[in-house]
Amino acid sequence: MRRSAKLRPDPRDLLVAAVIVLAAAALGAALWGRASAGTSGSGLTAVVCVGGQETDRVELSALPKPETRVYHGSGHTLTVRFSPSGAQVVSADCPNQDCVRTGLIDAPGRSIVCLPARISIQLTAADGGGVDAVIG
Amino acid sequence: MKTTRKLTLCAVLTALALALSYFESFFPLTAVIPLPGIKLGLANLVTVFALYALGPGQALLILVARCLLGAMFAGNLSALLFSLLGGLTALGVMSVLSLCPGLSLYGVSMGGAAAHNCGQVAAAMLVLGGAAPLAYLPVLLAVSLLTGTLTGFLASLLFRALDRAQFKRS
Repeated sequence: MRRSAKLRPDPRDLLVAAVIVLAAAALGAALWGRASAGTSGSGLTAVVCVGGQETDRVELSALPKPETRVYHGSGHTLTVRFSPSGAQVVSADCPNQDCVRTGLIDAPGRSIVCLPARISIQLTAADGGGVDAVIG
Repeated sequence: MKTTRKLTLCAVLTALALALSYFESFFPLTAVIPLPGIKLGLANLVTVFALYALGPGQALLILVARCLLGAMFAGNLSALLFSLLGGLTALGVMSVLSLCPGLSLYGVSMGGAAAHNCGQVAAAMLVLGGAAPLAYLPVLLAVSLLTGTLTGFLASLLFRALDRAQFKRS
């Protein structure tokens, strides 16, 4: 055996856990910090990207009533329901159905990702307050 | 360890990793936490074991073989990028952490689980061509504390069992 394995938990393991928690907290704060400043469901825009290209942009707050749109990507089809309160994938023919299980997203910075279809739906604030990039 | 014995052990561990990947597909974490790519990461147990028992070189060979064969058997070559990036990142981080004095299998496994998720999110960003998957990373990192602890616990059980079976451990 090449290296000796320490089998019992060591207090120093908490350092690793602390680094992970700090990284998660810092990233979460960066991603959703601005979202907390906005009111859920108001002034939202849904940006739909297929294969990395923006293909649709829906002003949710301007919708008079819920609207359903269909998107195709990499041989898969997603049916997305947009309403003033948010966006939700209501059906998809992808194998894992993670996008459907994500449910309703209703705040800037939140997103639905369908990896098999290479489709992402990201909510941004109407004033562009959504997260575009994280630095550092 | 003789070359033949080492080769055989690598083959067995590769098969075990593939079996564990298949096994955990029956218990999808995504049913509880609907995030793409979230899973228990039981195959990482084999990487941890190989890292300590055989060294990073053999662990790398087992990892690459597992990723290639897994993608072939699943008929899903697009998954190869995800498993390779996640696995390689995890192995790299665990190799470094395993050299840190004092860290146990638990700490090393937690670091590996977190790194695996970072690698997979990077793969998702490459595939989708945007930063949308980054929104999942904070939750994935938090979950990696649990999955990493589970892997560390299972790895320690494995090494204890091997000790009892009077396998050599230096």
